[in-house]
Amino acid sequence: MMLVLIILVCCLPLTGSLMSAISERGRAIGIATAVGTTGALVAAIALAAHVLSDGSYQIANGIIYVDPLSALFLVVIAIVVFLAGIGSVSYLCVDEERQELSRFQVRIYGIFFGLFAALMLASLGTGNLGLLWVLVEASTLASAVLVALEGRAASLEAAWKYIIISSFGVTIALVGTLFLYYSASNLNLSPDQRLTWPELFANAGSLQAASLQLAFLLAVIGYGTKVGLAPMHTWLPDAHAEAPSPVSAMLSAALLNTGMYAIIRFYAVAGVKLGSYANGVLLVFGFASIAIGAMFMVRRRNFKRLFAYSSVEHMGIIAVGLGFGGALGVYGALLHTLNHAIGKCLLFLTSGEIKLRFRTTLVNDIAGLLRPAPVVSIALLLGSLAILGSPPFGLFLSEFTIVRAGFAGQASFGFLLLVLLVIAFIAFAHTVARMAVGGERGKFSPAGTPVLRFVGGLPLVLGLFVLFVLGIWIPRDLNDLILRAIATIR
Amino acid sequence: MITLSEGVLLDLLSVAILLLTFACLGSKLFDRYVAYYALQSIILSAAIALVAHHLGAWDLWALAVLTFLIKGIGIPVIARHYLIIRLELKRDVAISTGISTSLIIGAVLTAFAYFAINPSTLPSGLLATSPVPLSNAVVLLGGLCMVVRRNTVAQLIGWLIVENGVFLGAITLVATFPFIVEAGIFLDLVAGVLIMLTFVSGLAHRLATTDASELRELRE
Repeated sequence: MMLVLIILVCCLPLTGSLMSAISERGRAIGIATAVGTTGALVAAIALAAHVLSDGSYQIANGIIYVDPLSALFLVVIAIVVFLAGIGSVSYLCVDEERQELSRFQVRIYGIFFGLFAALMLASLGTGNLGLLWVLVEASTLASAVLVALEGRAASLEAAWKYIIISSFGVTIALVGTLFLYYSASNLNLSPDQRLTWPELFANAGSLQAASLQLAFLLAVIGYGTKVGLAPMHTWLPDAHAEAPSPVSAMLSAALLNTGMYAIIRFYAVAGVKLGSYANGVLLVFGFASIAIGAMFMVRRRNFKRLFAYSSVEHMGIIAVGLGFGGALGVYGALLHTLNHAIGKCLLFLTSGEIKLRFRTTLVNDIAGLLRPAPVVSIALLLGSLAILGSPPFGLFLSEFTIVRAGFAGQASFGFLLLVLLVIAFIAFAHTVARMAVGGERGKFSPAGTPVLRFVGGLPLVLGLFVLFVLGIWIPRDLNDLILRAIATIR
Repeated sequence: MITLSEGVLLDLLSVAILLLTFACLGSKLFDRYVAYYALQSIILSAAIALVAHHLGAWDLWALAVLTFLIKGIGIPVIARHYLIIRLELKRDVAISTGISTSLIIGAVLTAFAYFAINPSTLPSGLLATSPVPLSNAVVLLGGLCMVVRRNTVAQLIGWLIVENGVFLGAITLVATFPFIVEAGIFLDLVAGVLIMLTFVSGLAHRLATTDASELRELRE
C-alpha cells in the first residue's frame, strides 16, 4: 500500500507531460497538469497519514524510503505543486491565446513542468543519499529548461546563470556525499548501506569526525547553492524573475525546500557526532542570508525580484531555526517551511496574474490594482502581510517560534534576528503597498475569459485560506507529524 | 628491472590529468580546450580501468568504458561540431585575467589543495593517496577556468573539468560507490551537457555572441 502511494505521488504529476505528448493545446495540457498534481496532493496526504499510523517505510536497501520527515516535506512540496499546477492553466491558456507562447513552447512547458515536479517529489522518497543527489541535480536540469522557456535574451541569460552556478554548486554537494560515504568506511556496512541515511544516522556516533566535518561543510555549501543561502544565492533572483510565474512559484516554494531537505539529512547525521559545530555553520549561513535578503529588498524595481530576495531571507530564517536547534528551533523551522512554501507560492502566482494583466513586472508601472482586479489585489496585500510574518497568518506563528528558540539559547541572536526581520518588513511593505493602492496607472488588459479568471484566482484564495487557518490553529495530525519528524532527526 | 605498481601508475595518471587542466587554463584556442578535455577524459577512463582491474569490479569496468565513449569521444565530438565549428569560435578573447596570472593562481590553488588534504593523513588501504589532493586541485582549477573565462563555451568546458576532478576523487576515495548512483550521475552529466549546448546555441542565436560578459540585461 505504501509503495503504491509513493509511486502515485511521484508519477501522477507526469500526466501533464503525457498529455503534451499527444496534444499541443494549452488548455488540454493545463487541465491534465492540474488533475495530475491534484492527485499527487491527495496521494501525498494519504501517504503522510500512513506514515503517522504505521511509522517509517523502507525497501530495497533504502532506495525507497519514507519517514515522518520526508512525509512532511512530501506534503509541503505536493501542496506547492498542486497550487502551481492550477496556476499553470490560466498561464498557458492566456499566453497561448495572445500568441506569446508557440505550440512548441506550450508542449515543452507541459513536459518539463511534470518532470520537474515528479523529480522533486521522487528525491524526497529515497533514503539513498547518492540517489538523492542524482534526483536533485536532475530537477535542476528540468527547471532550467522552464526558466528559459519564454526565449527572451534575458530569460536565456538567467537560465544559463542558473544552470552553471547550480550545477557547480551541486557538484560540490556530490563531493560532500563522497566524503560522508568515506567517513563510514571503517564500519561494517555494505556499499549500499554506507549511502543509506537511516544506516548512517544509526551509526553516526562511530563515523570518522574529520571527514564527516568536511562532508557537512561541502553539503551545506553545495545544496546551499540550491537553497539560495547567501553568498551562493546569486542565481536566484534572476531565475525567479525570468521564469514563467507558476515555475517561479515552484522554484521558490518547492525546489529551495528540496535543497533544504538534503541539508537537514546531513545536519542530522553531523549533529550526532559533531554537536554544536553543525548548528554554528547553519547559523552563519542563515544570518548571512537574512541580512543579504533584507538589504536587497530595499527599493527593488521588479516585484518578482523582490519576492525572490524575500525567499533568500526566509531560507535564512529556516536555516537559523535549525541552527538554534533544540526541539523548539527545529519545530519552528519545519513549520516555517510549510508556511513559507504556501505563502511564497501564493505571491508568485499573484505576480503571474498581475503580469497577465499589466504585461510588466516593474513596480513603477503598476499602481492602483484594487479597482480593476480586486481578488488579485487583495491576494497581493494579504499574501504580503502573511509572508512578512504578521498575525493572524501562519508565518507569524513559525517566525515567533524561531525567535523564541533564539532567546531561549543566546538572547543576542534572537535580538539580531528580530532587527533583521523588521528591516525586511519595512522594505517589502513599502514596495507592495504602492502597487495595490494609490492612483491607477499602467495599461490594464483583462486576462482571458471569466472562467479563466476564476481558475487563476482559485489557488490564491485557497492558499490564503490555508495560511489563515495555520495561523490560528495547527491541526493535531500536522503537529504529530512535525513532532515525529523532529524525533527522527534527533 | 623496475616494476610499476598499480598505485604508482594511478598517481602518474592523476598528475597527467592535473597537467592537462593547467594546459587548458593556459590556452586561448577553443579547439585546444576541447582537445585537452578529450585527452583528460581518456586518461581518466584509463585510471578507472586501473582501479577496476585492481578491485576486479565489473561495474567499474562499465564506468571506464562509458567514460571513454561519452566523455572521451561523444561530448568532445558534439562540442566541436555544434559549438566550435558552427559558431566559428577560434580565439578566446574574453578572458578576464592574463594567462600568466591565472596560471599563478592555479599553482596557488594546487598548493592549497595539497595543504587542505594532506596525503599522509589519509588512512592506508587506498590504492594510492596522492590522487585525492590532485583531484581536489582539478576541481578548484576547473572552477578557476569557469571564473576567468567569460565565454559560455569555455565555462561549459570548465564545468566538465570540475566533473572529471570529482570522478577522479570518487574512484580513489570510494571506489565501491553503488552502481545505480554512478549510472545516475552519468545520466545527469549527459542531460546537463545537452541542455547547456542548447542554451549556448540559443544565446549565440539571440545575442550573436557567446560571451557571458555581454549578458548584462539582468543587472540591477
